[in-house]
Amino acid sequence: MSSVPAAPRRAPLLRPRDCVVGGVSVGLARHLGWDVATVRWLFVATTLLGGAGVLFYAWLWPTVPLEEPVTDAGPQLASVRHRVPLRWVGVVACLVAALVLLLSWERTGGVASGLLFTLAVLLAAVGVFGPWAIRLWRELLAERTKRVREEERAEMAAHLHDSVLQTLALIQNRAGASSEVARIARAQERELREWLYAGAGVADSDLATDLKDYAASLELDHPVRFDVVAVGSSTERSSGELAAAAREAMLNAARHAGGDVSVYIEGSSTGVDLFIRDRGPGFDTSRVPEHRLGVRESIIGRMRRAGGSATVGRGAGGTGTEVHLHFDASRRDES
Amino acid sequence: MSEALTVVVVDDHSIFRSGLRADLDDTVDVVGEAGDVESAIAAVIAHGPQVVLLDVHLPGGQGGGGAEVIRRAAPAAPRTRFLALSVSDSAEDVVGVIRAGARGYITKGSSGAEVSRAIATVAGGDAVFSPRLAGFVLDAFGAAAGEQAQTDEELDRLSAREREVMRLIARGYSYKEVAAELFISIKTVETHVSAVLRKLQLSSRHELTAWALERRLL
Repeated sequence: MSSVPAAPRRAPLLRPRDCVVGGVSVGLARHLGWDVATVRWLFVATTLLGGAGVLFYAWLWPTVPLEEPVTDAGPQLASVRHRVPLRWVGVVACLVAALVLLLSWERTGGVASGLLFTLAVLLAAVGVFGPWAIRLWRELLAERTKRVREEERAEMAAHLHDSVLQTLALIQNRAGASSEVARIARAQERELREWLYAGAGVADSDLATDLKDYAASLELDHPVRFDVVAVGSSTERSSGELAAAAREAMLNAARHAGGDVSVYIEGSSTGVDLFIRDRGPGFDTSRVPEHRLGVRESIIGRMRRAGGSATVGRGAGGTGTEVHLHFDASRRDES
Repeated sequence: MSEALTVVVVDDHSIFRSGLRADLDDTVDVVGEAGDVESAIAAVIAHGPQVVLLDVHLPGGQGGGGAEVIRRAAPAAPRTRFLALSVSDSAEDVVGVIRAGARGYITKGSSGAEVSRAIATVAGGDAVFSPRLAGFVLDAFGAAAGEQAQTDEELDRLSAREREVMRLIARGYSYKEVAAELFISIKTVETHVSAVLRKLQLSSRHELTAWALERRLL
């Protein structure tokens, strides 16, 4: 705080979070600049004088504030850690008290000691089962909240499915596949559906999810309709070269062909195959001028450098273009 | 096509029904409409159409939607074929109606011409597979992982040829293009697709249902 301490300043009276019993001794020692052991012995000594030490300790415990938590030490240090298991000490104390009351029953036997005995046993039971019961209760509560939220979500999804999604489908249907209105409706539909069905989880960005997102954004800017189909399990990262080449091919299809474009991803144990197929005017790699780097560099060159392969050719029946990207599973790690 | 195909349109949104009706070309003759499960069953039995365009999600009945219509109406109208029409392409919905007996499915975003074509295909006894459905089939039968049927009778796996056809359809090829690519006739492609549809309907493959339940979206 103050950078130039004129006189040695006293540390504020605070209890540390990592403490033996209550942190009172350490806090007091730091504040007074004494040795911790001295303070502790003083407490013990004064306790012998009619229990004054214990009383003083018990009074300081709740009144002296705790240190600020060290934020970067992780959440487990935000709470207080007692080196002495206070809970079990309390339980043992209660049981001892109950035992003492039981043994001296004949001498003192009365309503008061009966009540005290019950109280001691109850406190011991709370000490043993309390934390467990609290945790159980919390879990139950969290479970219930989660279920209610899930139900609400399902209900809302059903409602939106029956209303908004139908309307969006109708708009696309009536407006013609490549009109701007249809494109916007389709993008909205996709977004809404993702939100409705993807659920709260799965924030994983695998290749298929990534390309679906990319397709949705392309549909907004170009008169194109993507159909992305993913098959098998793909462990391909969305940041990889394959994804970059696929995006380039999809962008080309959106720009130069438009209309319906199919994207097919097939992942297997031996590798990943990716097909992007449009029905545009077609495209001949050998006739592409030297300065047009799109296909040559971004797709074919990129795949070759990454250890995969890419072929660009005419689609089936000689219409449109089909780009085929392939990656061997064994080479995937090297890229 | 000399005579128009008779069709009943079942969808709980009247606005969608009328829109679709206006969009279908003149190879299709809409003879009836229905908006819920009970009236759909009644309409199918009353008109006995060649094809029923059936929404997957329908109110009424026992809550079974389109699949319930097929199960209850099909015995009374053996010549009628069902084409599922869905706003969603979630596996649960699609596989549910296919296994109930639908001959194919298309999404509601399809144009009038596409729907008309699909109706003609289904009326001709063939199956309508979208790329997405083909992708689902490849996954559900473990074809992507390299599983292959040893005999034609096997229901739980695809044959090598069926797998090829499904892969091409998933890549966006039409039946005609698949035929050209594989050097087989369109009729053979249609036979393969119908065989796959049959497997999809009859297979007890565990993954089929588990997959559909687990991943709610294709």
